[in-house]
Amino acid sequence: MEVLERLINVAMLVATIRTTAPILLVALGGSFTTKAGIFNIGLEGQMLVGAFFAVIGSIFTGSAWLGVLCGVTAAVTFALIFVVLVVSFRANEVVVGLALNILAGGMTISLMKAIFGTRGSIVGHGIVGLKPVHIPGASDLGVFGQLVSGYTPLVYVAFAMVPILIVFYQRTRLGLHIRVVGEKPEAAEAQGLSITRIRYIASLLCGVLAGLAGAHLSLGYITMFTENMSSGRGFMAVAILIFSNGDPLKVLAGCLLFGFSDALALRLQTFGFPSYLVLTVPYLVALAALFALAYRSRPRIVRETVDSMKRLMRIEGPPDAGAGRRNES
Amino acid sequence: MSETLRPVIGQAIAIFIALALGTVVIMVVGESPILVFATLLEGAFGSTERIAGTLLQTTPILVCGIAACISFRGGLFNIGVEGQLFMGGFAAVIVGIYLPLPAGLHMLVGILVAMLAGMAWIAIPAFFRARYNANEVVSTILSNYVAVLLTSYFTIFLFKRPGGWSETAPILPSAYLPELFSFSRLNWGLIIGLALAVAVQLYFRHTSRGYSVSIMGQNLKFAEYGGVDIKRHIFLVLLASGAVGGLAGGIEALGVHHRFMEGFAPGFGFDGVIAALLANGNPIGTIGAALFFGALRSGSLLLEVDTNASREIITVIQALIILSVSAQILMRRRGDSTAAERRWKF
Repeated sequence: MEVLERLINVAMLVATIRTTAPILLVALGGSFTTKAGIFNIGLEGQMLVGAFFAVIGSIFTGSAWLGVLCGVTAAVTFALIFVVLVVSFRANEVVVGLALNILAGGMTISLMKAIFGTRGSIVGHGIVGLKPVHIPGASDLGVFGQLVSGYTPLVYVAFAMVPILIVFYQRTRLGLHIRVVGEKPEAAEAQGLSITRIRYIASLLCGVLAGLAGAHLSLGYITMFTENMSSGRGFMAVAILIFSNGDPLKVLAGCLLFGFSDALALRLQTFGFPSYLVLTVPYLVALAALFALAYRSRPRIVRETVDSMKRLMRIEGPPDAGAGRRNES
Repeated sequence: MSETLRPVIGQAIAIFIALALGTVVIMVVGESPILVFATLLEGAFGSTERIAGTLLQTTPILVCGIAACISFRGGLFNIGVEGQLFMGGFAAVIVGIYLPLPAGLHMLVGILVAMLAGMAWIAIPAFFRARYNANEVVSTILSNYVAVLLTSYFTIFLFKRPGGWSETAPILPSAYLPELFSFSRLNWGLIIGLALAVAVQLYFRHTSRGYSVSIMGQNLKFAEYGGVDIKRHIFLVLLASGAVGGLAGGIEALGVHHRFMEGFAPGFGFDGVIAALLANGNPIGTIGAALFFGALRSGSLLLEVDTNASREIITVIQALIILSVSAQILMRRRGDSTAAERRWKF
């Protein structure tokens, strides 16, 4: 019992929220591409270039936020290359995603060597990190105050994105279009939507959030860049996206699970468990979740398609334009 | 005529574009492209020893590439070759240290156990892919991380050589994979790899099960209507692929390092997957692609000595090649690309 108390306390919850933020950002980014029907294994690389260029931007401009902007720009560039090859050149999305991940790894290390003459990591050099946000009056709220105040800004952005994305997918035209393109491309075409255009938009939006995730890694709690510092978080995000089907609330639930296992792993190390074993925990949790929930993903897609089609019909389409198509399949 | 030449020309153009982009990248990094390419060539083929060094690097890439080819043929992505290599290498080393057997037999048992370990490592992802359609790309990638961490743990906490740093004791000489020449650690692994490439190619061409797998890779529905037991085949293809990944680890352990250590074989699994992609899943073509990447790797060692560029510049070039080839591949079979794409969706 005492062990449990030492394991699960306010500090642990705070740690969970902190470790959840980067994977939540990148997974929510991936939710755009997932909803648009693109399997985006390239999240890892987008996050990595985001982290690297955030540090570069921070050093050369002296501003953390301009650094974040640089990171986002780099990640969006990768997202653009991805979508050009996958959508316009119809290349295989797994192949392109993997190649971009490899490119990100090699590029960041090469540039690190070229700019700083070092291998391994960039520390110091005047990196400006993001300052923690202290919510006024939070210190009077005791435990609750500790839970909500004092994080770096991108943590708040990550959690705020969840309701924003729910509204985006449910209530906005673009959100609906993205879902229709992913679930029933034929219907989208029948509605006169440009699948290409929607997929480009979805991928670029994904790049923005993946870049923020990367920037949070390198300018959030630690202000440094290390080789391959995304360390598989992009792949875990893809695992979450597979079993959540990109639904923001389910993505949040999945990410909290990983944030918790990450935080638990860190804490177990302080109990003297060997770090090599403890570090496998988040990957094992990802694998277990992927396997356990694998069989559930398919029927849901079909059901949601019918729902969203009905909604689309009601909002704008001529009543029978897509209906015939639906019956066909 | 033009139909047979087109893919070859397409691939050549893609590699040319990639090298042009690579040149730009090298200039961005602040090096002379001519110097970099010359150094790479010099480092890869400059002397007999260096050629042997290139072939030494080629071997694991080739074997890993064949592992990837087997899965690609069945329309599956085994990206976990790296993890299977680590598990296979570790298992072979354990056999090499603790299971004294007559020379020759010891080596064979080591190789066999390496293959079994690779197979065991992919068995769970393979089962869930076959039975419940759990995406194998993600599950095999994630198991790479676990394999690397787990073997490091075993090495450092359970099997560490007394006085050594994060490495096991050396294996017994009876388990050594024999070397081909006295001046290099190049060993029989290369011959095994070449023979395996030919064998796998013949298997897919000339046996009925090989044909079933190829059909499954090209058109899942058609194979299903044709009476192919899809679930069983998916499972077996992934197991075979994992076994070959384990073999690559066994060759590295028994032929090159003669022990296991942290960072045992960095990136060979991924290079193999890329080589197989470049060869479009053809084992014979993978020989050429593996030689190309082996030369890049071998040349990059000199690159780091003679210039300020880091050796990772070659992974940039590799990635650029795959990106430009990926665009080309589908330009020449636009017709069935959507069907092929759907298969790889979750």
